[in-house]
Amino acid sequence: MATSSSIFWLQGFYARVSWRGFLALCVVLGAAIPLLFVLYNSSQLSLQQWGNLWTSRLPSLLWNTLSLSVLVAIGAFTLGVSAAWWVTRRDFIGKRIAIWLMVLPLTIPTYVFAHIYTSLLEESGWLGQLWQTLLGTDSYPPELFNIVGVTFILSLAGFSYVFLLVRDALSRSQQDLEEAARIQGATAAQVFWRVNLPMLRPAIAAGLALVVLHTLSDFGAVSMLRYQTFTLSIYLQMSGRFDYQSAAGLSMVLVSLSLTFMILERFFRNRQRYYGSGKSRRIEARPATLFETVMIWFWLGLIAIFAFILPLAWMLSWSWQAWVNQLIDAEFWGYVQNSLSVSFMAASVTVLAALPVALYHARTRSPLSQGYLHMASIGFVLPGPVIALGILAFVLDGVPFMYGGMAVLVLAMVIRFLPLAIQAQESAVQQLTPSIEQAARSLGASTWENLTRIILPMLKGGMASAWVLVFIDTLKELPATLILRPTGFDTLPVRIWIEASEEMLELAAPSALMLVIGTLPVLWFLMRSERTK
Amino acid sequence: MSMRFLLSFLALFIPAMLSAAPQTLVVYSGRSDKFVKPVIKAFTEQTGIQVKIHSGSSTALLNKLKLEGGKTSADLFISNDAGNLQKGSAMKLFAPVAGDIASVIPTNYRATDNSWIGLSARARVLVVNTKQHDTDFVNSVFDLADPRLKGKLAITHSANESYIAGVTVYMEKAGKEKATEWLKGMKVNVGDQVFNKHSKIVKAVASGKKSIGLVNHYYIYRHLAKDPKANLRIVLPDQGKQGMGVAWNVAGAAITKHSNNKQAAEKLMRFFVSKQGQQMFAKVNREYPTREGIAADKMIPAAGSYKIADVPMQVLGKQRNATLDVIESVGMP
Repeated sequence: MATSSSIFWLQGFYARVSWRGFLALCVVLGAAIPLLFVLYNSSQLSLQQWGNLWTSRLPSLLWNTLSLSVLVAIGAFTLGVSAAWWVTRRDFIGKRIAIWLMVLPLTIPTYVFAHIYTSLLEESGWLGQLWQTLLGTDSYPPELFNIVGVTFILSLAGFSYVFLLVRDALSRSQQDLEEAARIQGATAAQVFWRVNLPMLRPAIAAGLALVVLHTLSDFGAVSMLRYQTFTLSIYLQMSGRFDYQSAAGLSMVLVSLSLTFMILERFFRNRQRYYGSGKSRRIEARPATLFETVMIWFWLGLIAIFAFILPLAWMLSWSWQAWVNQLIDAEFWGYVQNSLSVSFMAASVTVLAALPVALYHARTRSPLSQGYLHMASIGFVLPGPVIALGILAFVLDGVPFMYGGMAVLVLAMVIRFLPLAIQAQESAVQQLTPSIEQAARSLGASTWENLTRIILPMLKGGMASAWVLVFIDTLKELPATLILRPTGFDTLPVRIWIEASEEMLELAAPSALMLVIGTLPVLWFLMRSERTK
Repeated sequence: MSMRFLLSFLALFIPAMLSAAPQTLVVYSGRSDKFVKPVIKAFTEQTGIQVKIHSGSSTALLNKLKLEGGKTSADLFISNDAGNLQKGSAMKLFAPVAGDIASVIPTNYRATDNSWIGLSARARVLVVNTKQHDTDFVNSVFDLADPRLKGKLAITHSANESYIAGVTVYMEKAGKEKATEWLKGMKVNVGDQVFNKHSKIVKAVASGKKSIGLVNHYYIYRHLAKDPKANLRIVLPDQGKQGMGVAWNVAGAAITKHSNNKQAAEKLMRFFVSKQGQQMFAKVNREYPTREGIAADKMIPAAGSYKIADVPMQVLGKQRNATLDVIESVGMP
């Protein structure tokens, strides 16, 4: 593998040593650091050790991880597609609020969901008490420490991705196909299953892919709920036993799993193409009848209550306790500031780093640039703790003077969220046809002018949404921050983690609330730019 | 967002991104902030030495120490488990403490080479619900594998440091085979449902959801302090002539080998083993001070009043991987 990729690199260099290609190469090499760590450490495993891993761990881990992914995908599909369907097909009172309520769960990290629901379901918690009032004190509220509980949490935390993508696709879908089917005598249900659903397949696939990749790499919720997936097991292997080699071996299996999954998803997406004629009408939302309005709000309200309103109420109530007891002090505002500054830096650096990779791919579309894209998506397939360890090992050996500073943490965030930024910029980059640049050149613009006056202004939208996505994810990031933060440097997620493990609810709540509040403006920005599109 | 704005903003942050060498004492702490902070505060007030606390789980912080090697900024490591301390000792991460500091603490509760010192001890005990008598037959931890306790037993998940340390003690005293059978029996009794917090075990037993649990002693008294009327009772297992005694574990501290502030670190260590430090360190959590002659909280059973398993704390680190192997081979959740 090493030789074939170096041949690619050579070809790339000799074919055209462009500044784009060079910068892209630098970024990709940086992104590959954690992968090198995994490759090196897993290559140290003997065949016998692999055998041990295989017999002792892999079967149950594979089963746990795969079954969880399937269940979460089903959960996110049910919630996301149904909600997207109603908000695009019917006009009802409070529709904009409903859309917001479906997106807002993105502001709550999985470990906060897990923490909130375990405390809500305790016998003294709101849901626990409700349960016992309804079913008697002899019955105990359900536990979340099993696959059903984890599915519940991860579906609530992830369905918004499906919702956003499917809503976008639905609002662009066209009416004639449906009408043709109805004329042929299809029932509404048949139209949905045989016309709409196949048309939506790419959007659904992309949304579910996001959800499944998040599930595969989730650390916070599964470790709070003690559900052994690959990511948790890898973490325990390296932290409990100092066994980095087995952890790397397990990571290799996880990476292959995720890559297979991504390739499959891309394959199915590429095969499904639907073309409509330019003239056909967009579907228009029909005003909802009273009965429909009630039904829609019943369903969306139910989702919203569990996915956002209840957690928010919990955060507000415990934050109020903290406020009354004067627990919100200067230290707390320090955590807020730490979180915001890391997220700001990480988002800015990531967007800049993603730019050459996206530009290079848009221009050359070669196997090499495709390879760059795959390499740059490492951050999505490797678990956070492994990325952190890889960077730690690299920094300590290679650039020790950097160690202990914030730069290392920012580097980790950049590598983790680079794929997100590249994806968000890619579509904008595609609109940038070479002829525009050539025109600028022929009018005498230099490379720099071309970049600042043509390319960047055209990419502004894509860069902004990339920035927002990375900002939100860095704000919520837990595992890599836990390992790489400078001494005594606590961010909001780190504090939530520490307070939650000590069961100091009134201290975890204000931090969680600040995460939601911190994400709101950027989310608002994202939704606004989407509307004007 | 203009390019220039972005760049100038970045320029503002660059100084912050380069690491500065702090002059304060850095403590990696695996013990709850609320127990560590008061002690540190008293120390700073007395000596004027500033201390920076970097909290996390003991195991994760030990990993960090190991990976950082000579580049660590930590001067002290506080762990809530002797297993981690001994493990760190074996990996040569710690520097021995001066003899006069160490000698205050009985040899049983510190490393042979004084590379770590146990500061407070916790007992691994049973908690039972006073209203339910179906657990009355239990007087040894090994009874927890009895099929009569199916669905009634509450234990933590097997990554918990106190749990692992307890299993190590039982394995030392009763042998690997008996311990394996015991784990298998408990696994059947709990089904797939283990608890992620000791405090939740105590809660579940208090409410009657479970009848019996295996916990560190202070969790029972923490609950009783909040709710004195709770239906809870402590059972000290494995007493009597034939009994192996109750398993103990210690929380403690070590000075890191690469500390460049060893004098101040020793001062803090000296404070930890001083009468005042011992009072504070152990009492906030109702643990047993390891220094002799310091009284523990009155609520908890007096240290001399029951039989303690005679397994030196160092063993908890030395046998940890063996214990993990057994736990994993049984497949404990």
